[in-house]
Amino acid sequence: MKFLIILFLFSQTPEDQNRRCLLCHGKKDFGIMEKGEFKSLYVSYKDLKQSVHHKFTCVTCHDDVRVIPHLIKPRKIHCLQCHFEGNVIGAPVREMPEKYKESVHARAKKEKGKKAPDCYDCHGIHNVRGPEDTLSTVYKENIPETCGQCHKKERDGYENSVHYKGLKEGVFESAVCTDCHREHDILPPEDPRSTLNPRNVVHTCEKCHADVKIMKKTGVPVKQVEAFKESFHGIALEFGVLKAANCTSCHGYHEILPSTDPRSPINPANLAKTCGKCHPNASQNVAKGKIHVIPGEKEAGIVYYVYTFFKIFTFAVILGLIIHIILDLIGRFRRKEIAGE
Amino acid sequence: MQENNNIEEKILREIEEEEEVVLERKIREKIKKEIKEKYRKEFKKIRKKIEKKKKKEKKKKEEYFVRFSLNIRLQHFFLAVGVLILIITGLPIKFHEAAWAKLFFKIIGGIQVSRILHRIGATILIIVSVWHMVYIVFTKEGRREFIELLPRLKDVKDFIQNIKYFLGLTKEKPKFGRFSYIEKFDYWAVYWGMVIMVGSGTILWFHNFFLGILPKFIIDIAKEAHSDEALLATLAIVIWHWYNAHFNPEVFPFNPTIFTGKISKERMMKEHPLEYEKIMKEKNKK
Repeated sequence: MKFLIILFLFSQTPEDQNRRCLLCHGKKDFGIMEKGEFKSLYVSYKDLKQSVHHKFTCVTCHDDVRVIPHLIKPRKIHCLQCHFEGNVIGAPVREMPEKYKESVHARAKKEKGKKAPDCYDCHGIHNVRGPEDTLSTVYKENIPETCGQCHKKERDGYENSVHYKGLKEGVFESAVCTDCHREHDILPPEDPRSTLNPRNVVHTCEKCHADVKIMKKTGVPVKQVEAFKESFHGIALEFGVLKAANCTSCHGYHEILPSTDPRSPINPANLAKTCGKCHPNASQNVAKGKIHVIPGEKEAGIVYYVYTFFKIFTFAVILGLIIHIILDLIGRFRRKEIAGE
Repeated sequence: MQENNNIEEKILREIEEEEEVVLERKIREKIKKEIKEKYRKEFKKIRKKIEKKKKKEKKKKEEYFVRFSLNIRLQHFFLAVGVLILIITGLPIKFHEAAWAKLFFKIIGGIQVSRILHRIGATILIIVSVWHMVYIVFTKEGRREFIELLPRLKDVKDFIQNIKYFLGLTKEKPKFGRFSYIEKFDYWAVYWGMVIMVGSGTILWFHNFFLGILPKFIIDIAKEAHSDEALLATLAIVIWHWYNAHFNPEVFPFNPTIFTGKISKERMMKEHPLEYEKIMKEKNKK
């Protein structure tokens, strides 16, 4: 008899096991009053069934619930309960939690006790889906919304930007929050390892903006980064002069707008003000001429002709001088031979 | 020859007696040859020493002319120092991607230190150019030298003849006056370089001021011209000027005239025959 009961228990599908939980938690208006506020305890079972955890039962994670209905509040659970090295359930273990530990979010949570996101704030609780799932909170197109839950101002700015526009128009490579800030190891810009540290900004933008394929799709010139690296700003930055302008100094960051937009800091009408942030005398003159100049390319205009002139001139002069030297040496050698004979 | 043989024979016999052996004929001949060679080598060494001594004495006795006044020598010295500082601190910016450029900035203490040094070099260069302008306008010596440095038709003729001379088409070396066309080229090349480098460099140095009054593309041109002319000037100095002043077999390793001001009578007659004749004529008049 005992054996039969055990067999019966094991033959139950997870759904059957969860039925008892859902008697209460499946009701939309189920909840309790906590600190004078209504707290919903409803769980969308559909969400759970479609999540990556659909094979598991409620009590797999809420493992301190032994009797249903439970009389006490179950303890808070955490992803690392299963996702740790050597777990028996087979939960995938990756380097993300380790990376997260260094992030501003983890540090804020630890040091200041401030509100800062833990895994489930971004990945969801019962509705955890893979990043390639379009309904996932961490699906690329949904990331601005996910981060925007807390970073509202930044999200609003971003939603005006060309990057957001590109994303909405189907350019999937368009940058979202995580492309620049990274995902788990988000570091403050003061940290030299941060992707947003002045030393690294160029490299961060370059990942896409020096990629011919991506830039071709969007019609954005691809050689801007290369030109920047050859400019005084680029060289100064390369050798550690961090006050030198990097991409974001002129283009802004969350609300990046094309130069055609009158609100953009790189709109010709606004350039004087933008350059004026560092160069106090900057006037309308700064708008007269190309900004990212590659002297060796025709697009550089007059600078290209200066470059070409010097190229030819230097070649001709040096060649002439070398010929003069060689003739001199040949003459000396010949006269010596004659004298020797 | 006979005597030599006797000496060698003597030596061999002495050794034979001491060692109480008799050497075979073949070995005897071989040893004799070796002894001869040794003698010859020693003679050569002594001869060379004597020749060197003679040369030194000759140099001491030689007559000298003053080719460059102290003023010119100082101008050249400061110009050289300024230009070298500028090249050393400037090229790593142009070739910033090269490993040696990165190493240079590391050694010197950062790009900001290099930047200050570059401006010190620039200041020296500007001072020298002003100094030279004052020299050629307001001093009698300067005016005379400037007139000597003006290009003439003779320079073109000298150039053509010199090329012919190099090629062996004529045995006649062109007779130069106080300044050969080579020296004149060096002098006037500096004018071209100065105008471009000081002009564009000033714009780059005081870019904050010039951003207010010049359109941006002028500043871009200044940057490009500064960078390109820097390379041209560096190559001209390293290849051309250093060949003529250092690596030319005639003066190798170093022509000290621009630093000492002195030139030997021998070199004067060879390199500046017309000037030599002129000086001699004036001397004889007196």
